[in-house]
Amino acid sequence: MSLTPDGAVLSAAVVVLLAGAPLALVRRRAGYLATFVGAGLLVVASILALASGPVVGLSWVGPFGDPEGLRLDALSAFFALAASLVWLGTSAYSLAYDLGPDPTLAVCYALTLGAIAVLIAASSWVLFLIAWEAMTLASYGMILQAVGRPDKIFSASFVFLAFGEASSLFALVAVAGLAVGTGTFLETPYAATGLLSTMIFATALIGFGLKMGVAPFHMSEWLPIAHSSAPSNASAVLSATLTLAGAYGLFRVLALLGPAPLWWGAVVLGIGAVSVLLGALFASVSEHTKGLPAYSTIENNGLILVALGVALMAGAEGLPELYAFALFAAFYQAIAHALAKTALFLTAGYVEHTTGTFDLGAVQGGFKGRDRAAFAGTVAATLSLAAAPPLAGFVSEWMILESLFQSYRFSPEWAQFVGLLAGAAVALAAGLIVVAMVKYLGFSLLWNPAARAERDGSRLLGGSIAAVAAVVLGLGVAAPWILRALAPVVSGFAGTPIAAPVGSLLSVPSGWSILSGSPFGILSPPVVPIALAIGAAVAWGYLRLGRAPTRRVAPWMSGTPAGRPGETYTSFGYSTGLRIMMGSVLRTREVRAQTPDGTTAQFATTIPYSVDLEVLDVFKLFYDELVRLGRAISDGLKAGLMPGRLGQYLAYILVVTLAVVIVTAWVG
Amino acid sequence: MKRATWTPVDAARFDPGHGERALAYAAPDGAFSLYNDYRSGSSFLVRPAIAEGPESLAARWRTADLADGPRPLGPTDGVEGYGVFTFPYGPITLGVPESGRFDLRTYGERILSASVVGGFKRRRILAGLAGLPVDEAGLRVERIAGNFAAAHVSAFLAAAESARGDPVPIGELWVRAVAQEIQRAYNHLHVIARIAEAAAQNVGLAQAHALAEELLRLQGRLFGHRWAFGALLHGGPPRRLDRDDRRQLPARLSTLSARFEELWSLFLGSRTFIDRIQDTVALSRERVVAAGGVGPTLRACGVPWDDRLRVPSVPYTDLFVDLPQESGGDALARVLVRADEVRSSFSLLEQLLDRWPKRPGESLAPDEPIAPGRGLGRVEAPSGDLVYDVTVADDRIVRVGARTPAEANFPIFGEGLRDAVFTDFHFAFESFGLVFAEVDR
Amino acid sequence: MSPASSWLEAAARRGILTSRYPARPAAQEEIPLTGRPPRPVGGSVGTPEAVAACPVGALAADGIDEGRCIRCARCLATGFEFRGPVETARLRRDDLVVPYAAPARPEDAAAPLVGLKRSLHIFLVDVGSCNACNLEVLALANPFYDATRLGLFFTNSPRHADVLLVVGVPTEAMVDPLRRAYEAMPSPKAVLAVGVCPISGGVFRGSAGLRSALSDVLPVDAFVPGCPPTPLQVLDGLLKLVGRSRPREAVPT
Repeated sequence: MSLTPDGAVLSAAVVVLLAGAPLALVRRRAGYLATFVGAGLLVVASILALASGPVVGLSWVGPFGDPEGLRLDALSAFFALAASLVWLGTSAYSLAYDLGPDPTLAVCYALTLGAIAVLIAASSWVLFLIAWEAMTLASYGMILQAVGRPDKIFSASFVFLAFGEASSLFALVAVAGLAVGTGTFLETPYAATGLLSTMIFATALIGFGLKMGVAPFHMSEWLPIAHSSAPSNASAVLSATLTLAGAYGLFRVLALLGPAPLWWGAVVLGIGAVSVLLGALFASVSEHTKGLPAYSTIENNGLILVALGVALMAGAEGLPELYAFALFAAFYQAIAHALAKTALFLTAGYVEHTTGTFDLGAVQGGFKGRDRAAFAGTVAATLSLAAAPPLAGFVSEWMILESLFQSYRFSPEWAQFVGLLAGAAVALAAGLIVVAMVKYLGFSLLWNPAARAERDGSRLLGGSIAAVAAVVLGLGVAAPWILRALAPVVSGFAGTPIAAPVGSLLSVPSGWSILSGSPFGILSPPVVPIALAIGAAVAWGYLRLGRAPTRRVAPWMSGTPAGRPGETYTSFGYSTGLRIMMGSVLRTREVRAQTPDGTTAQFATTIPYSVDLEVLDVFKLFYDELVRLGRAISDGLKAGLMPGRLGQYLAYILVVTLAVVIVTAWVG
Repeated sequence: MKRATWTPVDAARFDPGHGERALAYAAPDGAFSLYNDYRSGSSFLVRPAIAEGPESLAARWRTADLADGPRPLGPTDGVEGYGVFTFPYGPITLGVPESGRFDLRTYGERILSASVVGGFKRRRILAGLAGLPVDEAGLRVERIAGNFAAAHVSAFLAAAESARGDPVPIGELWVRAVAQEIQRAYNHLHVIARIAEAAAQNVGLAQAHALAEELLRLQGRLFGHRWAFGALLHGGPPRRLDRDDRRQLPARLSTLSARFEELWSLFLGSRTFIDRIQDTVALSRERVVAAGGVGPTLRACGVPWDDRLRVPSVPYTDLFVDLPQESGGDALARVLVRADEVRSSFSLLEQLLDRWPKRPGESLAPDEPIAPGRGLGRVEAPSGDLVYDVTVADDRIVRVGARTPAEANFPIFGEGLRDAVFTDFHFAFESFGLVFAEVDR
Repeated sequence: MSPASSWLEAAARRGILTSRYPARPAAQEEIPLTGRPPRPVGGSVGTPEAVAACPVGALAADGIDEGRCIRCARCLATGFEFRGPVETARLRRDDLVVPYAAPARPEDAAAPLVGLKRSLHIFLVDVGSCNACNLEVLALANPFYDATRLGLFFTNSPRHADVLLVVGVPTEAMVDPLRRAYEAMPSPKAVLAVGVCPISGGVFRGSAGLRSALSDVLPVDAFVPGCPPTPLQVLDGLLKLVGRSRPREAVPT
């Protein structure tokens, strides 16, 4: 078996990543260094794959006789690139962050990364599924390494494992269907239509959707992160790359299934739109520095599905331009989100490291001004997720909305209607997520009062956040060239060569603008920062050259001295308006309790009492009911079938033996 | 002719908890208390004052005169919870024209509890009256709350006259009543105008403000001063209330009255206006009575008490005084009561002009003093029952005690704000007609 | 005539109520008797009885301190009349002390906010007033005076204000909030004291716990005497700050 140089890089990447696990047992730092190096190698390998064609790494003969191994084609290369950029950031971060004595986190971290790399690079479904399961178990191990109440942690990580296993189950069924259809376990296309392909599509959507954390499975995303206080590098990996793995699985299955009927796209679009809205809504009322980004992940993965859905529908309707554009939007969104979300989780970890809390209401500018790199990185990351120009999130949001606008091109009315509703949902969610990101940014960084940070973050912490955010900025500014680079990925998915939707606009040089259809919409991402810079320079010059003195005064608070503790707006108060307005969706209710030693005055009750406004996720009620039902059934079965009486067990054995004899005699 | 009446009762035989009795005034030295009985519609003067606990109304009103600097006007609630913070509104805001602070406990949109902090405008006027001659003291009493000047001066003079045993010309009593009714009308119009402003009814705001301005100009012409400062005291500016002037007044008043009717019917037809004040800070009758509430706030809860009817003095003894009441207890009810009182004030002015005494110089004996040299004056100010307790010796003031309607109603406002929404704040505040200057005297 | 059936109709019927001041002089119904400051009748001397009759010590033998006069009319019995000019606002405290005989000193102080002539934003602070001055200032917003036609606006934050308009006698509790409001205002800014309470303490001059003059707390740029000054006199004070006021009318002595 001979390896090309590219293949050697690929194989080395995977091996080094996996090797991080035993190395971490020896020294944690060594493990993280190994993952850093492995991620770097993977970046190189995927760039090579995108530039010069598929890369084939190690291969061997699988259990069913097929040759299988590691290979990166365009689709895998894209996801590998996105994931490994994330891992570069998180590994650098982990070198500074993970200071605890227990190496389990580092071991599980390395195993997770290795497993994801294997499943993306797998050329056969068997290897994919093995890696999928390994990823679930390793990340379960990561979540268990948390601080806080043990019972809560256990239940949160158990929820994660339960959803993870459900996902594996559905993925297994989908793979089985593909195997039946194509006759092999290798990842080969299956272009038939009919019940089998529908079954494959449905189970793949559910299975990989579970991993992506889209509605109605979003609880698997926010609960483990928000309630288990998983360490930040783990949360970044979970939110950014596990969901990328889920997206990869879905994209791979859809690429193999060939042209999709219209209703497949509509279902994907619908699920995506609901996730977008729910994620944005819960994000805007969340007070947890990690829960808020977790909800944002749900929203962003929903956006990926929205773009994918429009693409599938356009493909079924015979609109090749819209098909291509929407696919570019989907891929661009995937990488933009992965990087921005990573930066945001690393920020949450930085905040926790310096202020010791996950409660946004308690942070209150705790780490403002300590580290300029972290500051800049956080601003860039939150603004990207809030779709502010000139960052990557702005370009991807624009592209997705443009593709939704063009849903009027679909011929059946119901398809247009679905596109319309999805567009409204995405637009509403865009507004809500701005609220969420402004709240996050404002109350963590821009808050005025005395900084209460107890410890300084290290340079590495801040530096890694800034580096990831810089990549996000670069993606945004250089979007037309990134889209050109993504052309092989989209072609690989579609099966036909597709060119990037870039063109020219008026006096802007050709190739600097993105076209969303001809004619429809146009945007030139590189021009935006140029215009911003010119405007900022003019304003700065005007302020500097004019001689108006600046005088700093305390904020005006109706004549009351400003800045007294307990007299400033809390981050909870910032979104209470939304809690009350959307009370029916959020099931908002007020809980009052009388605190002890209250006294009653003559006519007014001077009874000290506490008031809490609570929201909850209705889907969680459904799952709690499901769990309760499951428990009830299993208790019933236990009581019925396993009463512990010897005679009954002997009767079982007898009955089953007879049944087997009869059946084999019949069949034989 | 009789003047103000109350029934003196021995403290041992008086049960303050019987029926619907509320404390109207507690003398600072404990010599007596004044109780209103809303069931029987009578007022009791209880001697000596009934001892009450430290949290009682009486205690709170006593400390009002001693406290210095910002202090809470009413009990405060301790509300805690996740994300709950205090929103200090004041002392300098545009929405509340005077200086006072409202500490609102909230978690966002809703007011969980409110604490009203007064004392920012504390001028210690009453303490400064000691040693002054009555007329000069009157100049200061007028300026406790300028928009209620006529009411404060009338009550103060009634108390001083009772303390000294001075007979007063009956024409003076008529003039005081005229000033009080004009004052009632423009104060209520100011309240309506400010609520219209909060409800963004800008034409209504302008028209109500304009009508109030016309009343102020009328008062300026009649008394030489727009707010009637000095007009009811000796040696004040010359008045224009002789027979010829009085002949032209009814026509002017009926024009203004018709304008008010038109204005008010337009307001009642404005869905926005009614909507914003309906069900805003609704109070129950029990709580308002127990808290010692007075004025339109009390009448809006269905309690038929107005000093001009229950403790009437000349000239109200001879006039038909309407008693508007509502039973809703919310801001709409309070505003409806005020609008009806404007109408009633116009009618009273007509009656006053009609029945002007033929011999205004004829003297009338004052009330019996409570104690030698100590007199009581009670007047229905625009925002409620106002009590003055004046001790005089050798024509100079020894001590003045007072209980103003704002003092009685502020704690009720603070309590009523519980569970209101931020945007309802101004509607609630204006509907009570509270004036910090009366508390910070 | 039947009552109007809509706001538009009601307003149209009322017609234009707005005063023509300062283009025209103040009309008679706009200024009550006590709106003009007192002057001795006939002679040019204030008698000792008059000086003793004034409860706030505003009258002297040769002149009147308009910054103290509370318009109580006690001096009327001793040979005075309310017949001074309507425009009583001055930019200097000393100019409020007006000799009976000599004509008023011309205003030579420069208007502090000339550059804001067409758009002046006012922040109203009540430090310890009885509400009369407060309401007279707020009356500038009613249709009879309509200050916005002259470019005068009320703001709800000192950050947007050019003029700090103070009414009431300064109490100890309000000194700090007042200073905070002044500091929060961006330059150029001015302070206007309306009513005799912030100028000299008014009827409470010398009372314990009160500052007798606003100028002890903040630098004051213009003074509008009166108790309370009528809305047109407040308007005159505001216009003096921007140099647009009507010239002081000549009153026969």
